[in-house]
Amino acid sequence: MEATISNPAALLFPASYRRRVLCLLLLHPERALHVREIARLTGTTAGTLNKELTRLHGAGLLTRERVGNQVRYAANRASPIYTELAGILRKTIGLADVLADALAPSAPAISTAFIFGSVARGAETAGSDVDVMLIGSLTFGEAVQLLYPAQATVGREINSMVFSADDWRARIRAKNPFVHEVLAKPKIFLIGNDDELEKLGRRQPR
Amino acid sequence: MSLKNLVGVSLDELPASRELVTRLLKAAKSQIADARVTSITAETRFGAAYSAIRMLADVALNANGYRTLTNRPGHHQTAIQTLPLTIGLPAQTVQILDALRKQRHVTEYSGDLVPESAVLECVSQAQALQTAVRAWLKTNRPNLL
Repeated sequence: MEATISNPAALLFPASYRRRVLCLLLLHPERALHVREIARLTGTTAGTLNKELTRLHGAGLLTRERVGNQVRYAANRASPIYTELAGILRKTIGLADVLADALAPSAPAISTAFIFGSVARGAETAGSDVDVMLIGSLTFGEAVQLLYPAQATVGREINSMVFSADDWRARIRAKNPFVHEVLAKPKIFLIGNDDELEKLGRRQPR
Repeated sequence: MSLKNLVGVSLDELPASRELVTRLLKAAKSQIADARVTSITAETRFGAAYSAIRMLADVALNANGYRTLTNRPGHHQTAIQTLPLTIGLPAQTVQILDALRKQRHVTEYSGDLVPESAVLECVSQAQALQTAVRAWLKTNRPNLL
């Protein structure tokens, strides 16, 4: 997707090819892809892309491997800034933007939405699903239909959990262990923020 | 993809049986009734409504002369995902049913809670599927009713 000026990643990485390549490879570190595949998946052209890949490899951000007559690039997880850079991408142009865009049509019905689970912790594996929490007045079916098309874009299955504000508050009051664990662990906000989530109910010491 | 192509992969041939269809429809109906009982837990209500969905999907398969290969992983998924082929259910509805299947899987195996929204969706989807399956049978296989 094309980043807008309000997107910090667009400001930090003004070269759109670089941004798209980093996003594709650093957010799917298990994938080693050849130039044509990267061009197809990022909507770029192979010629210019090749130069960018060479630069990123030169800076140690990508690994490069020859398989038969193909050269494959992958994220270099051994790079000292891999974790931080992937984190920035994940929270900006990566997953979060795709999901926030997908939710936008129903934003008035959603008070808070965030990614939780392994993706939010940065501990995802190739097969990890994206867990999305939605608190608001939308139905489970509406949430599924909003997020379903995004699965192809992010290359992962998306599981939504939908709570009405009342249901959420009741679970916090009842000290439900699942809800308390979600509150305590890392989140990537799609709609709203921590303050707004806290207004619905604070984590209570057990 | 056709149902025939899936024989031996995820489906088995089983002649349509009025007795089986009747039994499954009856069981699905009582599961839906149970799922509407608000004095029991959300998890149990969700489970009952989900069972009804699975049974109704099995009815749809049997009415077409098939059943799922239950010794293969993912037979719930097969029953749900073949609904567009068995009774012409819209793909968008199948997406929701499939998400309910995943929710059920997560709940059964990790003990995560079931939000009220998922219970409401599961019950209303079970009810709608019951209506759709019965209407399809009436039009296409009235001898099974």
